[in-house]
Amino acid sequence: MAVSFKAEQSSNRRKTWFLLGAMFIAVVALVWAAGTLLNFNAYLLVPIAVGISLIGVWTSYWKSDSLVLAMTQARVISHEDAPQLYNLVEEVCIAAGLPMPKVAIVQDPAPNAFATGRDPDHAVIAFTTGILEKMDREQLQGVAAHEMAHVGNRDTLVMAVAATTAGLLAILADMGARMAFFSRRDNDSNPIAVVVSLVIIILAPIAALLLRAAISRKREALADATAVQFTRNPTGLRRALETLAADNTVVQQKSTAVAHVWIESPLDGKSKSMFDTHPPLADRIALLRQMEGAPPAAE
Amino acid sequence: MWIWIILAIVVVLLVIFVIATYNKLVRSNVAVDEAFAQIEVQLKRRSDLIPNLVNTVKGYAAHESGTFEKVTEARAVGEKANGVAEVAAADGMLTQALRGLLAVAEAYPDLKASANFLSLQEELSATENKIAFARQYYNDAVRTINTLIVSIPTNLFAGMAKVTKREFYEVPNEADRNAPTVTF
Repeated sequence: MAVSFKAEQSSNRRKTWFLLGAMFIAVVALVWAAGTLLNFNAYLLVPIAVGISLIGVWTSYWKSDSLVLAMTQARVISHEDAPQLYNLVEEVCIAAGLPMPKVAIVQDPAPNAFATGRDPDHAVIAFTTGILEKMDREQLQGVAAHEMAHVGNRDTLVMAVAATTAGLLAILADMGARMAFFSRRDNDSNPIAVVVSLVIIILAPIAALLLRAAISRKREALADATAVQFTRNPTGLRRALETLAADNTVVQQKSTAVAHVWIESPLDGKSKSMFDTHPPLADRIALLRQMEGAPPAAE
Repeated sequence: MWIWIILAIVVVLLVIFVIATYNKLVRSNVAVDEAFAQIEVQLKRRSDLIPNLVNTVKGYAAHESGTFEKVTEARAVGEKANGVAEVAAADGMLTQALRGLLAVAEAYPDLKASANFLSLQEELSATENKIAFARQYYNDAVRTINTLIVSIPTNLFAGMAKVTKREFYEVPNEADRNAPTVTF
């Protein structure tokens, strides 16, 4: 059964909106819960919590290109340093109709790559020395297309929105819990409502993390589909992911701050988990095989 | 009183809709021109690579003059070509001629091993890929505008925006659509 990249793209875009909507509903539920517990209008807390969350996330969003480059110690290169790599990024940019990003190399034996930057004009895409050694031109083109797809789909922005909302939920829940602890409650409040509110306050931050991870997974799947739109060649990316799956070296920087930006997550374990930032490689490979029009490999 | 307010809102919405549709058509039309300019930029780059490539191959295989002539001829045709159909035809011709040249190179191991030839080969195959992607992007843009022109309601505004159907970039020979494969 062949799958078209267009169907995959629209399905993943739809699911992103759905998940962002779910996060918004979580905010509303949390505000309701805090209000019920404290007998006061908790909407007043929202602007404060939004402010705190925004400060934390949006400076790192705005400066994402220079921050991530510094954190991973990536070195920005020109055409002369690595002609083939530079050429194939240029090729993908033409296919995508996007401006040429900065291209960087990270000294790391583990094969991996990432894209960041607040908009296509400030984009950086980086490759580890490991990926350049282990992959041929067709595979690297697939990887470059996946990273440029992140740039084109504005995934730094999408993930910044998700992180802000997750931060907002954590801050609100924290405020609610503290105030509930210190406030004297009137006896007329409904006990069921109080219990439900407590459960919401405890679960909301966890739900936020799960939703954020789910959004990240959808954006990865979307980037795979968009990469195929750019190159019209699912084989390159599929072969690249197979090489990643076969490889056991892991990027040395295991920092959670930059984990979601890599093409293969340095943090996700071998078993499938709801907190994973990436869909399992095997699923991504199977989907690309379907886009090639081939049946999934028998295992 | 209410009637007038509702009427005013409807008129404003209508005006916004017309402006948005008009702009969409104009934007899509400009995108086609930009996409074509990108193809020409890449074709020019390939054209610029050729003298160097021909000289390098000549150094090892001077007697294959027929192949060199074909390449040089095709290059000259390409530089004079104008308009989508002409440019596409010249593009196909040069791709064919270059394929011949690379096939000749296959027979000379010393040439294939030379650093100069290897770097030229990478530049050439990268440029061929860029041309292929620019072509794909252009044809996507043409498909978008041609679909808008025949779809309701954008078709009603196509005349107003002076947008007409655009020509696809079609390389005459089916085999030329794929860039010559260069193995590494």
